[in-house]
Amino acid sequence: MTVFTDRRSRLLEEMAGEGLDVLLLYGNAWQNDYLRYATDFGILEGQALAVVREDGVTLYLDSALEVDRAALECSGVEIVHAPDLLGEVDRALNRLSNRRIGTAPSRLIPRRIAARAKELNLGDRTAFLDRLLMGKLASEVDAIRRACGVADEGYAVFRDAAKPGRADYELIAEAEAFFRSKGVDDNFQIIGVGGPEVRGMAPPSGKRLKAGDLVTTELTPCVEGYYAQICRTLVVGEPNAEQNKAFALYREAMEAGIAAVRDGVTAADIARAENDIFRREGLGIYVTDQYTRVRGHGVGLFADSKPHILEDVTTRIDAGMTLIVHPNTYHPVVGYLVLGDVVAVTKTGCEVFTKTARELFSVPA
Amino acid sequence: MRRGLMGWNAAELPKAALEARIARLRAALQHNRLDAALFYTNLVQPSAVTWLTGFTPYWSDGMLMLPGQGAPVFATALSKRVANWIRTTDSLSEIVNTPKPGAAVGKRIAQAGCKRVGVLNYDSLPAGLYDEIIDAAPGVELIDMGAVFADARCAIDEAERGLITRADALANTALDQVDAAHSVDAGAVAGLVEKQARLGGAEEAYIAIAPDLDADRRLIRIAGTLPLAGRFAVRASVAYKGAWVRRIRSFARDAGTRRAYAAADTWLGAVATSIEPGRPLAAQVEARLKELPGASLRRWIAESCVGSYPLEEITSIPAEETYRVLTVELSLDRIPWLGATPAFVGKTRL
Repeated sequence: MTVFTDRRSRLLEEMAGEGLDVLLLYGNAWQNDYLRYATDFGILEGQALAVVREDGVTLYLDSALEVDRAALECSGVEIVHAPDLLGEVDRALNRLSNRRIGTAPSRLIPRRIAARAKELNLGDRTAFLDRLLMGKLASEVDAIRRACGVADEGYAVFRDAAKPGRADYELIAEAEAFFRSKGVDDNFQIIGVGGPEVRGMAPPSGKRLKAGDLVTTELTPCVEGYYAQICRTLVVGEPNAEQNKAFALYREAMEAGIAAVRDGVTAADIARAENDIFRREGLGIYVTDQYTRVRGHGVGLFADSKPHILEDVTTRIDAGMTLIVHPNTYHPVVGYLVLGDVVAVTKTGCEVFTKTARELFSVPA
Repeated sequence: MRRGLMGWNAAELPKAALEARIARLRAALQHNRLDAALFYTNLVQPSAVTWLTGFTPYWSDGMLMLPGQGAPVFATALSKRVANWIRTTDSLSEIVNTPKPGAAVGKRIAQAGCKRVGVLNYDSLPAGLYDEIIDAAPGVELIDMGAVFADARCAIDEAERGLITRADALANTALDQVDAAHSVDAGAVAGLVEKQARLGGAEEAYIAIAPDLDADRRLIRIAGTLPLAGRFAVRASVAYKGAWVRRIRSFARDAGTRRAYAAADTWLGAVATSIEPGRPLAAQVEARLKELPGASLRRWIAESCVGSYPLEEITSIPAEETYRVLTVELSLDRIPWLGATPAFVGKTRL
């Protein structure tokens, strides 16, 4: 059994349990987890809708280029080139009258199809899919463990590429070339270069590295469809005392967060464990949304999966979930700083998948 | 998700060029009695918003409202902290960071008293955003404006020509890295081509390979190790500051096939240069086949940027100057060959 066949069996079983006859799933290169769960296709260009029935899956793609690729990459899925995507899917749905059809993610389902909800008996089943996406099968957890290994290697390549005078996008180019050779077909990566003026990470802007800069990155390779993330910070040259002191705080916060992870806690519990470390040092303002987005999140078929680790998110954390714990935020003295490890939740705690040392790395200035 | 170089450079994309585009679209809106226009954007459908503002989202999504007058309003679920980054690529718009972009633009539509609002890709607008807009502006009539936009957008200005030319140079240089005689691993070739494009400043690079042209001409995204046969093809889809090109080159280990491929490359360049706007493209390609002895046409695709997709298949060439990517699949005395080249139809080839 492959991860995909495992997933598909589970999906059909759960659909039956929910009394669902059909699922209509939307995907594009940004939000593809729902679609990928049922088709295993990593779409790049255009948009796709998949109709999942007990007797098979049909994937409708509006790009001829993607149809070629899907036909070769997706086994056991019927591929249809649909330049008129909505028209083609409308007709397919017409043939499914009197069935219970669930949609996900409902926010992104095209308006014209959503407008037929009553007529077609369409119901929002995003939460149903979210549950499957968050609670991983053992084979999915293994895939994420493998992806984390590649993330570790990718960070080493990134670190080796970091040299004074190089542009931020050149570092990412080196990592991407490595990833292609390692079976990684996608990667989410943002970067920050500089000092206290850096308030967050973003795509590369052409900034060149210089001595004393902090270089932050969140590197998220996709292996077998699963995104694994690593967050690390390096210094061009030797870190100064303030940078070391700040990093020690982030490390303590991440480790406090990881220590809080176990079956039965909530996302809020993990976030609170991280944030309490900052508050203890009088840095509580820097864990608010003025300076940071989330204190971690799920990892899986989407780079920024649910649940988001925030103090107001009460989602229960269950064994089988995979998360990244990252207390990434702005530090008033040294600037934006990141550190994050992926963990798999177990009954008694968690297994840490990230193997890269939890240190403030240094590269020659 | 985008992870290459992103940023606005006024020398490459002058504010005046963006203002001229907006003015042209506003004239079209007025002509069609539309009070405002709405554009959904994400990294898959960025091109209309990029054309109007220079901004491409690296992640997440958003909605641009172009009112009849005043600054465009860009509402996005990206966080407030990302607004500073957005500002570095979009010098024109008012940026609204909100978990409900549809509600934010709907409110503006209602406040402005808009009655008829054009929407690009109205049918495929995400249902969640649509519901937010309608809740905030229940009286407004939303109308698909695909044709209105395509008509206003199709002319290529000097700024766009420059960005496309730069993207094409990146694609060409990247493909130049392929050593036809000695390459043996498709994953290594994909990595090499992508790295070169990104080192040159590509915003994005999608590399696809047909590793054994004699067995299968379809191009796939290669990652990992896969042996290359004696004849293979590489497609580089490359973006620079929101401008996209596609190039395909076929490669062969044996010198005889390499000569045939070189002749086909030259032929495709000549065909792309001389496409006549307003005439059926298939007939034009077929008519030129006689210049390439032993060649038979198996498949062709023409793509352009006419809406929100960077490149999408088109079936006709309008009469005025536009930008196209022409992809052709031939048999050269039973030897498979794939090629793709960008061209400014009606003007000079890139």
